[in-house]
Amino acid sequence: MFENFIKAIIDLDENMAIKLAKERIERGEDPIKILDDIKIAVDEIGRKYEAKEYFIADLVMAGEILKKISEILKPALTGKTIEKIGKIVIGTVEGDIHDIGKNIAITMLEGAGFEVIDLGVDVSSQKFVEAIKQHSPQIVGMSGLLTLAIESMKKTIDAIKEAGLRNKVKIIIGGGRVDEYAKQYVGADDWSTSAAIGVIKCKKLLEELRG
Amino acid sequence: MKKKKTFEKLLKERLERITKAIELKEPDRVPLFDPGGHLIAKYSGITSYEFYFNYDKARSAIVKWLKDFPFDSSFSSVIGAEGFVFSVAFSNYPDIAPAIRFLTGPMHDVLGDKYTRWPGRELSEDIGSLQFIGGEYMKPEEYKYLIENPIDFINEKILPRACLNLEKPGSQKTNATLLRLGIEAIKFLGFLQSTAMDLSNIGIPSLNVTFAYAPLDFIGDFLRHPTGVMLDLRRHPDDVKAVTEALVEPIIKVALALKPAGANIAFIPLHLNEMLSPKMHDEFYWPTLKKVIVELYNQGMKSLVFFEGDYTPFINTIKELPKGWGIAWFEKTDIRKAKEILGGHTCILGGIPISLLISGTPNKIKDYVKKLLEDIKPGGGVILSSNIALGLTKEVPLENIKTLINTVKRYGKY
Repeated sequence: MFENFIKAIIDLDENMAIKLAKERIERGEDPIKILDDIKIAVDEIGRKYEAKEYFIADLVMAGEILKKISEILKPALTGKTIEKIGKIVIGTVEGDIHDIGKNIAITMLEGAGFEVIDLGVDVSSQKFVEAIKQHSPQIVGMSGLLTLAIESMKKTIDAIKEAGLRNKVKIIIGGGRVDEYAKQYVGADDWSTSAAIGVIKCKKLLEELRG
Repeated sequence: MKKKKTFEKLLKERLERITKAIELKEPDRVPLFDPGGHLIAKYSGITSYEFYFNYDKARSAIVKWLKDFPFDSSFSSVIGAEGFVFSVAFSNYPDIAPAIRFLTGPMHDVLGDKYTRWPGRELSEDIGSLQFIGGEYMKPEEYKYLIENPIDFINEKILPRACLNLEKPGSQKTNATLLRLGIEAIKFLGFLQSTAMDLSNIGIPSLNVTFAYAPLDFIGDFLRHPTGVMLDLRRHPDDVKAVTEALVEPIIKVALALKPAGANIAFIPLHLNEMLSPKMHDEFYWPTLKKVIVELYNQGMKSLVFFEGDYTPFINTIKELPKGWGIAWFEKTDIRKAKEILGGHTCILGGIPISLLISGTPNKIKDYVKKLLEDIKPGGGVILSSNIALGLTKEVPLENIKTLINTVKRYGKY
């Protein structure tokens, strides 16, 4: 029934997607249903990225559309309980202040149904540890563009180990410079160079946690 | 025992090695380039802040580094951030345009620019690298002015918005800032020249580089922010395309400004390339970048293009360039595949993942480099380096660098 809405998001047709979102809200539709449709769209965008049909520039556009739609939904969602599929604490690691990738990741994770706690940029290992204690997330996402970020990720994971929290969370690292070597070196559970794959991997990590 | 070669002889040998590789031939062995980075500061026991703000300290650190780790050439002197917007702003003045290609720490102090963040200033003193964050300095509605007259628009609108100390054109403060910028530019040029001289005295040649830019990156890095330009490609495609076309001429002017001084390679770092879909790449990114590279080639100048990210989906477009156009520095592109497709057409640079240098053991590095050389060495036209310019972070163990140099010396021979 709402294939047009889902299709507009997947096709990155900004004007159409926003128009249809507004119409659905004006009709008094349950915003939770709209959120469910967004999840379907985010899945498909991730699949298209994986299949190399979509690229980062497409994810940027997708993120922009999702952000605008969530603004439209906000008033209708106040007071409603939204079931989240999981909780993730995310931040750009110490020493690095780049956040383009992290911000797209957050929008897409939220679109996929995650509760996201954004710690911002240049986040110290201590701040990550405190956030894990405070929010008890299933997943911790560490982002960074610069090569120095890899060392900060390692320090942060070491601090999480020291605090005795390592087996409580799955850790994913993300950013332009991360790869399999970096993952092994820092001791993370997974890595991604894009928001789209990051979302897919976060869902997998969630499944692993739930056994 | 073999007598120690004189530095002069080493210099000649290395220069010939590099020249042959660039000319797509087989030299005596595969050259190895020092990618540079703030590991060099740590090696001399100075902070990142000192490395970026004190030219004398940076110069001694770089020379000490290359004395102990003798690469065939080096990018270590690039201790500045992207500042190409200033070069374009002054592109009608070839005497100053290339001098402000890089924003250095002291220039950042002078300008109060919002593009960059520095150790000892906005960042802690020993944080590592300077950071370029760019920003959004114009609205999409203003593209029309940029198309009409890019140079005036950049001078009159962009620079005052992007630099606190250039806020009010014609004011005392702005005029003083421009004078100070000139003084700093002379100091930086002095640093570059004296460092190159010191290095040649220890047998290490420097490339004679000038600078160009991909027009779409220029919009993303200095005017609209990468996110902004990626959205504009869908919302204002015609405007974006017209701006990229308007920028070709000033960019070529900047690159050619150093030609009379002997520059023969234009360095072009790409940023947006792999982020775009092939369709966007082919429509908005590549045509004007190609124009820049081909025009420089026609003027007798090669290009050194850093292809950030994974350029594998676009690799065939490089073949559209004339044979011998220059050097392709790859980050995550499969370098074996690149050699296979581009061999005999493009000189290939890179190959060593920086993450391997940080996390690998000497044995792992030796195996990796040995295998890589076996695969890509035959036929020549190859230069090894890390996969990222200025990627040597403080965390790279020194024995890994030693292993890298020794492995290339041993297994890189033709």
